[in-house]
Amino acid sequence: MSRPLSDRKPMMKGILTDVTKCIGCERCVEACTQVNKLSHDFPAHFKAGDGLSGQRFTSIVKTPGKKAGSWSMVRRQCMHCVEPSCVSACLVGAFVKRPDGPVEYDASKCIGCRYCMLACPFMIPRYEYEEQLPYVRKCKMNEECRVAGGMPACTSICPTGATIFGPREKLIDEARRRIREKPDLYIDHIFGEHEFGGTSVIYISDVPLGAPLRMPTKEEFAKRAVPRMAEGESIPDSIHDWVLVTPFQFLGVFTGLFGTWLFRRRSKLMAEKRRQEMEAAAEAEADSGDLADPMFRIVEPPIDGEDR
Amino acid sequence: MNKFVLKRIKDLFWVLAIAGLIVGIGRFAFGLGASTNMMDSLPWGLWKIFNMVAGAALATSGFVLASVIYILQLDKFKPVARLSIVIGFLGYGSSLTALVFDVGLPHRGWHPLFMWNPHSFLFEVFWCVSCYWSITALELVPIITERFRLNKFTHFMHEIMLPFVILGITLSTMHHSSLGSLFLASPTRLHALWHTMWLPPEFFLSAMGAGLALIIFVSLGCAWLYGRKIDMKILGALAKVQAVILLIYLVVKVIDLTVHGKWNYLFGADATWEAGVFAVEILLQAIAPVTILLVPRLRKQVPWLWVASISALIGLTLHRLDTGIVGYYRSAGQIYLPNLSEYILSFGVLSAAGLIFFFLVERFHIFDAPEDEAHHDEEETPHVEGAQGPIPVFWSRDEARTVFFARGAARIATIVVLIIPVTWVCLDQEATGAFRPIADPVVAPIGLDPLRATLRIDGNLAAEAVDFPHEKHKTELGGDASCIKCHHLSLPNDNSTACYKCHRDMGTFTDIFDHDAHQMRHGGDDSCATCHDPDLSEAADTAKACIECHAENMEGLEKQHLKGYSHVAAGYKVAMHGLCITCHRLKEKDPADPLGMGNCQKCHPLGE
Repeated sequence: MSRPLSDRKPMMKGILTDVTKCIGCERCVEACTQVNKLSHDFPAHFKAGDGLSGQRFTSIVKTPGKKAGSWSMVRRQCMHCVEPSCVSACLVGAFVKRPDGPVEYDASKCIGCRYCMLACPFMIPRYEYEEQLPYVRKCKMNEECRVAGGMPACTSICPTGATIFGPREKLIDEARRRIREKPDLYIDHIFGEHEFGGTSVIYISDVPLGAPLRMPTKEEFAKRAVPRMAEGESIPDSIHDWVLVTPFQFLGVFTGLFGTWLFRRRSKLMAEKRRQEMEAAAEAEADSGDLADPMFRIVEPPIDGEDR
Repeated sequence: MNKFVLKRIKDLFWVLAIAGLIVGIGRFAFGLGASTNMMDSLPWGLWKIFNMVAGAALATSGFVLASVIYILQLDKFKPVARLSIVIGFLGYGSSLTALVFDVGLPHRGWHPLFMWNPHSFLFEVFWCVSCYWSITALELVPIITERFRLNKFTHFMHEIMLPFVILGITLSTMHHSSLGSLFLASPTRLHALWHTMWLPPEFFLSAMGAGLALIIFVSLGCAWLYGRKIDMKILGALAKVQAVILLIYLVVKVIDLTVHGKWNYLFGADATWEAGVFAVEILLQAIAPVTILLVPRLRKQVPWLWVASISALIGLTLHRLDTGIVGYYRSAGQIYLPNLSEYILSFGVLSAAGLIFFFLVERFHIFDAPEDEAHHDEEETPHVEGAQGPIPVFWSRDEARTVFFARGAARIATIVVLIIPVTWVCLDQEATGAFRPIADPVVAPIGLDPLRATLRIDGNLAAEAVDFPHEKHKTELGGDASCIKCHHLSLPNDNSTACYKCHRDMGTFTDIFDHDAHQMRHGGDDSCATCHDPDLSEAADTAKACIECHAENMEGLEKQHLKGYSHVAAGYKVAMHGLCITCHRLKEKDPADPLGMGNCQKCHPLGE
């Protein structure tokens, strides 16, 4: 029967990553590389930036830890947003949010405009710049990377259980439970629960994750004059008003132009008609005047006040 | 005639165009990574932002002058009409050419024609730009054909032009704002100075201003190169309009910064080097041209016109580059600077457009229409100076006929153009469905119920229509605020939640067959043979199918619904769709009802 909102998408799966448990061994990266048949490369943290590339769908980035001088390890991957910006941005609809969680990319539709890369707030999609026929690559979280038991390879291999797979709602409950049990350890915030309309991949942590995940805080959202996004509005929702304007803009401008043209044309024709009528009237007046012969008038135009 | 300079400019253009061609071949041979500096964090480079976003904005003159000349019918601007058409055609042509090199898989350029995502602003830009470019090409056709004395064809083209011009202007207003909307998708990545929810109108205003600046610039340049007389009356008027538009842009920008509280990024604690870039940009783009052109004395002097138009052109290019590239530097943590081949291809494409421009200007009548080229409605609309008197608002049918539907070809063209939006709205359900506002009531696809309490929908996308009690669902889920529980309009192909998402137990079969009640009614222990074959074991599988007795209750049912339901009661779905509920409803009206089958609360106690 009908269910409450929180259970609306009970099938939506996600990943919960507990930053306090991650030891940065990068076995998730290795498992991802194997299961997706990506080319072997240096471990991600030797590369510049966050280590993601067309051949790396997940990576471990370092961020300053709670104690001075220590480091926390944060796993980067596609956040599989609930309302993804890439899905609304792609002009050919190559991205689809599946009800069971993954944001899927259909390479057969892609034309390579890279707008998804610009639109993703987390900067996740990567491009195969080195290829002659390049495609967008990113974390899949679908059947292609699931191992026996139905879990993605990256979560099933994690030795410390820092990253786990399951229904998103249950993961949020689990995250709440962990924060409740150890309130001193965790920051009381589930990263990804509401940001950008919520993400299927969520994080809990003892250090702020704004910088490594590119996830602004409420204050930063408010400061950037997008206050509604601070309340958890997704990017597609925030630009939806402008999408709605489009058809009305089309019909409005179209009709307005036609109307203006008709009006202008009409007034021109009317003016021309009036001019002709006045000419005709003048001629008629001249005809009925004293001098019956118009030729005579032209030769001798009527003399008015100037000469007197 | 400044032949020497003209020749050198042409030489330069040839060199750049050929170098650009070589670079373009190299880009396809070695890939994007080898020939550009674009990177994952800054995926849009010079080709897209400079050639496409800025280039399209600079080519705006076509639609601005088309609206002035065709719609407002101000004949004094006619001398620059053809120039603006050529600029529009070449500007958009060069933008699209650059895109061929920029896009990763250009051989799939046709995909957006068939694979739709109306939510995407890039989709809108694609359609508008390609349609608009076709229209500028159409507008160019009579200019070409008149040279070859194809008088009949030229005349025909003139006749059908007006509706297409109107469509072109409409498409222009749409894609110029949409080019700005593209960057709305980066509320956190684009620097706060450039990201604002007002990007669409700001892009539109600045594009119009810059388009006028380009036509002044080109007119002045051609006057200098070809030794033509400068028509200061026209240029002065254009400059005045440009100044007013840019002034509006400036005011909008100031209000924008104030309303959204962004002055601190420019002067306050948050000011970084981006503030300087922004200041230079706004100075060149709006403040300088507006200051110069608003002074009537300066507006009438050619050197000041040069300064103002060049400043506006550079300023607009800077604005687009800042919005598309520089504004992303901080969030990306990396800096993108185009490499040599990107510059060469960018300017090579522009040079090729420049060469075509010179060719057209020298071989065709661009600056002044030939004398015998009567404008298509010239004989009906002579120049009337100082028309006086009130203008009647309504006209008779005959007059409308002469005004509007004068000629067969024009009429057909009008109808063709009008069909486009109508088809778009009527036929494409995906587009219209996507644009439906969230708060709107759902419209019944088939007129089932005028009050729309019940809708006939294909709830599970299984090509089986069901009557869906929409009002009831709405009330039970919480009234008007509950739409969003099922309708997720922000995502394509997700306009409503399928029935099974909530009613997951619908298809499960439940055995609610009341054996004892049937036995009692048919005569107790002796009645087994009524349903069971005495030769076989008495099991559910061997019993009579329900339908054999209850056929009258199952009239409306499809045969496939009954398949396999001979002995167990069907699941919720089939039960609600007529198998059980029909009979129970009948019993409700029956005053006797010995088994209490019409009493809902017998099985569903209150509060459950």
